[in-house]
Amino acid sequence: MSFLELDGLTKSYGSQTVVKGVNLSVDKGKLVCLLGPSGCGKTTTLRLVAGFVPANAGEIRVGGQTMSSAQSTVPPEGRNMSMIFQSYALWPHMTVFQNVAYGLKLRNLPQAEIASRARTILAATRLLPLESRYPGELSGGQQQRVSLARALVIKPEILLLDEPLSNLDANLREEMRFEIRRLHDEFRYTTVYVTHDQVEAMTTADIIVVMNDGRIEQAGSPEDIYERPETEFVARFIGGTNILTGTRGDGDVVVHEGGLVLRCGSGSVASSGNTAVSIRHHDIQLSPTRPAGADTNVAAGTVTRQIYLGSHRDYLVLLTGGETVRTVAPVNVAIPVGQQVWLQFPPESCRALAQ
Amino acid sequence: MTSYAWAQGRLRGIDLSWPTFALLTLVLSVLVLLPLFWLVYYSFRNDAGGGATLDNFIALVADPTLLRAYGLAIGMALGVGALACVIATPMAWLVSRTDLPGRRIIRVLVTASFVTPPFLGAIAYEIIAAPNSGIVNILYRKLFGLDSSQYLVNIYTFTGLIFAIACFTFPYVFTLVANALDKVPSDLEDASAILGGKSMTTLRKVTIPLVLPAMLAGTLIAILQALTMFGSPAILALPAGFHVITTKIWSLFQFPPRLGLAAAAALPLLVITVILLRAQKSILGRKGYTVLGGKSGTPRVTQLGPWKWLAVAFVVTVLCLTVFFPYAAILKTAFTGTVGDAISFDTLTLRHWKFVLFEFSATQLALRNTFLLGFMTATVVTAIALVVSYLVIRRSVSGSGFLGVLATAPVAIPGIVLGVGLFLSYANPTFQLYGTIWILLIAFMTIELPAGYQQMSSAFSGVHPELEEAGRIMGASRLRTLWDITAPLLRTSVVAAWCFVFVGTIRELSATILLTTANTKLVSVIIYDLNESGDLGAICVLGIILLAASFAVVFIANRVPVLGGSQMNARG
Repeated sequence: MSFLELDGLTKSYGSQTVVKGVNLSVDKGKLVCLLGPSGCGKTTTLRLVAGFVPANAGEIRVGGQTMSSAQSTVPPEGRNMSMIFQSYALWPHMTVFQNVAYGLKLRNLPQAEIASRARTILAATRLLPLESRYPGELSGGQQQRVSLARALVIKPEILLLDEPLSNLDANLREEMRFEIRRLHDEFRYTTVYVTHDQVEAMTTADIIVVMNDGRIEQAGSPEDIYERPETEFVARFIGGTNILTGTRGDGDVVVHEGGLVLRCGSGSVASSGNTAVSIRHHDIQLSPTRPAGADTNVAAGTVTRQIYLGSHRDYLVLLTGGETVRTVAPVNVAIPVGQQVWLQFPPESCRALAQ
Repeated sequence: MTSYAWAQGRLRGIDLSWPTFALLTLVLSVLVLLPLFWLVYYSFRNDAGGGATLDNFIALVADPTLLRAYGLAIGMALGVGALACVIATPMAWLVSRTDLPGRRIIRVLVTASFVTPPFLGAIAYEIIAAPNSGIVNILYRKLFGLDSSQYLVNIYTFTGLIFAIACFTFPYVFTLVANALDKVPSDLEDASAILGGKSMTTLRKVTIPLVLPAMLAGTLIAILQALTMFGSPAILALPAGFHVITTKIWSLFQFPPRLGLAAAAALPLLVITVILLRAQKSILGRKGYTVLGGKSGTPRVTQLGPWKWLAVAFVVTVLCLTVFFPYAAILKTAFTGTVGDAISFDTLTLRHWKFVLFEFSATQLALRNTFLLGFMTATVVTAIALVVSYLVIRRSVSGSGFLGVLATAPVAIPGIVLGVGLFLSYANPTFQLYGTIWILLIAFMTIELPAGYQQMSSAFSGVHPELEEAGRIMGASRLRTLWDITAPLLRTSVVAAWCFVFVGTIRELSATILLTTANTKLVSVIIYDLNESGDLGAICVLGIILLAASFAVVFIANRVPVLGGSQMNARG
């Protein structure tokens, strides 16, 4: 049995249902990322787990114990979780030390233990020299670390993070991504992390849960999500991809309009109706002449845009079928706009997504 | 696992939101709705025999003195609005947008005239410009050797009344317009300049239209203040031999009282107030018109050049008329024998202080009542406002928005109308509150509730809900979070709201005048009584005490660290 279980979890505000029967199991010590566009229900799911909002249906269980159900909700203070907020929510009238020690004080620990545990975590987050400052006197990154220290010091059952890096600038965000992962490796708390940034999710997560419109689209390891997306939404949301839609042809191939036949190395082709084929930008091979010996997975097109990006060139190609495909090519493959090119879609990179 | 034991060992805690909500709804309904109910009820009732009747409204329309009082009140209010707007707008522009010297001090001084209770201002102008005893007229006669029937200015006239009220209501317009001018971004004006607009054209076509809503809104408030004011008209219009509606309503309470007619006469005033407030809100509420957000940069500053001295003369004149002269007159009168005495060592005296503090029996009681009521009102209102704004802002109970509406509603009830309503509600055999200070406490609570609520709710919206949620998830109960986190963050705002309510309470006159008796006199009422007996020296002493108390409270609140004075500077 998993440590944290969401079972048919549902939440509505008035007539609007924002979380629609979410099922999820998280093993102890894992870091799971809820990833999705804004409004997909990920933050509401997190707040349900925290106990800030009651559920309308379904259950949340931690270690087999029911925390939320339609009938009752254990209040946030009774869950032994901790949370890192988007705004950091540092109490401005307490020093760094007081902020960190507050959760320990609530647990009625002896003074000496409070001080030693707080100092340990302050050291781990490299905040010791700042312990008597007020939050208003800290930089954004330092505030973020205080917020982490405050959440970790109480040794929570579950650590919750709500878009914790969205208020930081790009450099600091990258640094803090690794910092969060490092602290997770050190302390191994079961963690639920909400973000809309896929790089953040890839860097930090053991399991990525892609959410869309109140439902889970797919849950899996970062490799699963990236290499073996199960829906068009997941393929598009993670990493950027080209989607070519077609119908089933002879022998497990997808025939796209314009006569392009795609043999797919993975995924499943719908027996009737449409199948989407996903192929990543960098997996497409571009050449000025027709590749020899290939009769499937090859299409002709015209270059409509070409951008030099230093490490590579970024192309938009208009296929004869009318579809625009985006691809990248090495810098030495320079084909001017308007010229005809050939695109090769290697079968092992084509993933069929039955709809 | 120890943490489970911990989680289970906690009591779930009874949710106090609902009982609190129900109790507050009841209290606020009693405070706000009950007087209005009795007001309407009595207006449809026959004083003599009971029974439903329209007689009161027929009398209202048929009685020429009442209609005249309404007409004069509206005329006076419009006059005040126009004069306030004419004084305040150029002054606001000079202070906000030109290189006029001493701009900051001017702003502070204008705020000082805000603090002056209007009835004290009216009395100051009695001292300065009464036809016989006014300082200006005495000097005028002395200078030209005229006999005692001659005078230069007379404050006991319709225009004198407009002038005296406008002196102490123009800050409403000034503050709104100056703030609006501060916010008009210079790029809008730069855009006009780049398109070829000369600086006068820019002012006319861009700047003024942008601050027009603030001007209108401020003027409406000045009109409303003048219309519902009791003190100044009672002091200046009655000797001039005319009534405005507030004094007329008051006169209906004199023997023989005509309560039904008073109620009927108060209702239109309530309706007008509601209409004016709605108009003001809709003017300020039109988002497209106000300038919000964006990098506005510093407002462009107009060089006054040779006009500077004219501008200085204008501003100094206004400040003299609204701040310096009135305060000088009050100070002089408090320390000299009679108003007409010249200031020298011979005429300096503490006679009035001795009289007020030790000889006049009513003062000590009045001072005690005033400060006791100020203290109680401020404490109760701040407490209620705190809880109501918590419930409303954090939406912990559905329907809590209604509480906010109730708490704001008294804004639309003029003091004198509330006075009539409360008299009708509580001066009956069931409650027998008339003649006690409790009826005054109820009145002050109702009057001050909107101000307290507004301050507290804006303070609450300043505390990010995540700060409280962080406390909850770390393991603190709702109450513990309120105590450890919300309360310290709100402390300064609570103290500010308390001071605001206290200062507002100790100067209230409009509702008080209908609700006091000999045993429950307040300083403001004593001032009014003494004015009728012409004892200006004693009035000025009391006025100074009142002002000194106001300033002292504000000063103490800002300095004492326990009250949040100085240690909150490290906020994030």
